[in-house]
Amino acid sequence: MSHDLNLVLLGVNHNTAPIEVRERLAIPAGRLADATRTLVHQPGVKEGLILSTCNRVELLTLQENGSSTHADLLRFLQEYFAITPASLTPHLYEYREREAVRHLFRVASSLDSMVVGEPQILGQVKESYTVAREVGAVAGTLDSLVQRAFTVAKKVRSETQIGSNSVSIASVAVDLARKIFGSLDGKTVLLVGAGKMSELAARHLIQQGASNILVANRTIERAEKIAEQFRGQVVPFEALYDQAARADIVISSTGAPQKLFDRSHGQHFLHSRRNRPMFFIDIAVPRDVDPGMNEVEGCFVYDIDDLQQVAAANLADRSREAAAAETIVTREVEKYQQRVQSLDAAPAIRNLQEHAEVIRQGELRRSSGKLAGLTEEQQAAVDALTRSLINKFLHAPMTALREAARDGDAQALQDLETLYTNQSRNKTGQTNR
Amino acid sequence: MPVNVFFMSLLWLRVAVLLYGVAALAVLPAALYDRPRWRHVAVPATVVALLFHFVSLAEMLNAAHHRLPVDTHETRALLGLLLAAAFLVVYWRYRTVSLGIFVLPICFLLGLIPAFNPGQETMPFPQFHTGWIFLHITLLLAAYAALLLSLLASVLYLIQERNLKSKYSAMNASWLPPLETTDQIALKSLLFGLPCMTAGLLIGSLIAQQTYGPSYFLDTKVLLSFAMWLAYVAMIFIRRHSGLRGRRAIYLSAFVFLVVLTVWSANQFSVVHRFTTP
Repeated sequence: MSHDLNLVLLGVNHNTAPIEVRERLAIPAGRLADATRTLVHQPGVKEGLILSTCNRVELLTLQENGSSTHADLLRFLQEYFAITPASLTPHLYEYREREAVRHLFRVASSLDSMVVGEPQILGQVKESYTVAREVGAVAGTLDSLVQRAFTVAKKVRSETQIGSNSVSIASVAVDLARKIFGSLDGKTVLLVGAGKMSELAARHLIQQGASNILVANRTIERAEKIAEQFRGQVVPFEALYDQAARADIVISSTGAPQKLFDRSHGQHFLHSRRNRPMFFIDIAVPRDVDPGMNEVEGCFVYDIDDLQQVAAANLADRSREAAAAETIVTREVEKYQQRVQSLDAAPAIRNLQEHAEVIRQGELRRSSGKLAGLTEEQQAAVDALTRSLINKFLHAPMTALREAARDGDAQALQDLETLYTNQSRNKTGQTNR
Repeated sequence: MPVNVFFMSLLWLRVAVLLYGVAALAVLPAALYDRPRWRHVAVPATVVALLFHFVSLAEMLNAAHHRLPVDTHETRALLGLLLAAAFLVVYWRYRTVSLGIFVLPICFLLGLIPAFNPGQETMPFPQFHTGWIFLHITLLLAAYAALLLSLLASVLYLIQERNLKSKYSAMNASWLPPLETTDQIALKSLLFGLPCMTAGLLIGSLIAQQTYGPSYFLDTKVLLSFAMWLAYVAMIFIRRHSGLRGRRAIYLSAFVFLVVLTVWSANQFSVVHRFTTP
């Protein structure tokens, strides 16, 4: 009597499929509702949900008993996305039942993400769920499963540090800036030189509230272009040392063969700023900022190696935390499975209770003549007594039924039910006769 | 004071001290072990402790108008109350409990002795000065609490600065507030403390003028008190105008704190101000 959910998960992700395949399967947000509706209209699909992000496309479905599942879902993918089986099948993975639950919990907890611990995935799962609910594609079972996945993801976030540390150079730079300045609102960033990494770091800082961007470049046209991009202001390269003290954060990435800023510059800037701290992010190789400037009180200098080492240390921390998160997921899958299986005991327990109640009522009716002389209070006491006896008697078989269901022992469940209901029914029948 | 009110006051103070202890323990996992949920124990425990502490103090003063925090222990308890209030203000404004690592154990210790070994001293001042004297004591204690808070914030600044300079441990100390936040706490505490100290000294001077006459102002304690005020003003001036931070700011705050301790201990040598209060 094992209770299977008929849960099937089919999909591709960044580990199994190249970008060329993933981009063909990607579903824009505007089409997700239509795709989900089409999915649940496939034969054998009772409930369904589609998760589509840049790194994965997954179909989570609850199937009707005996339906052919894989072939139907594959056909849906081929027809909906107009993709040939040959280009799709090698990249597909399929999980069923317990493994599908486990995969969903891992995805929601960001354990299956390209950057483990990234926070966006939970929001993406929530969006998919919202769409699926809106089109009526999730109801009882899948609804509670996805809700459980959200709870597990929150638990992983709160009980581990999986998402607490940044792992990219740009976000490490932002984190460090926040450790110095707290809020970055209204902070001034000076970009010295041009480069993709420095622009990315500047973009991150702007997202966090930095609002004044200054750009200094030997090529004035290039400086103007970057300044326009960030709605910033151009600083002539010759005026760099006069203007640098205006900046709270300096991102330097020139191709200069010698250092642009040395210790004495740092002292001069700090003096002009009345000791307000300055953060130098030196992305240039060879370096633009003399490491000795870090010794100046109030100057904080991080070169590319420093940033990479912090990012690597954070990544190692995340890996450690991911191991702890996996333990939580395993425990939660187990708990979910037990809960689902314990549902198996519910009909048997209900059957047992109803049967016992029939016996109790029968016995009370049989003795009603002898009890007729009792007062109302005494009759209530007899009623309570018989009820209590029945409950005490049923306690052991009910516990045994629950345990058998939790252990997934279908045979024990069947035997117990037969023993306590069919046999006793026969006996009751004989007694009543 | 009626005996039952005295015991009730003492009971509330003991409850407050116990809660300070709970808060002091709870703040450790919240700040040092990245367990932010513990702040939901530390902060409410401090709030409730502060209320009990306040009730204890109010009951004592209400029951006996002449009884002021004149005993050393009682003065310390009042200082503890002000420090706890300062901690809550900092938490409310900056959402950081890091200062609690230092402040809450100090509150606990400052309340512990008066809660279990209350003093018996009484104030030898006429009745009509009671309110003013209480204000004088409270304002000066508030200034001392502000200075202590500023000193602790400067220490946190220094630790955070060292962490950021060492680079590889920069991201480990997540319990430390950002440099600018600690700097703000340190400076704003001082800016709050200055008017308190000024008003406290002025009130004290007026009472002394009425009670003892001009001779009072030649007393060692009184002269040192005005020197302390000057040091306090000088410290704020230097911090504001040169943007002094980090190590040198700690030296400066520590120096002024030493002056404060000297002023307090000068009660022993003073001819006219021979109380245990500031």
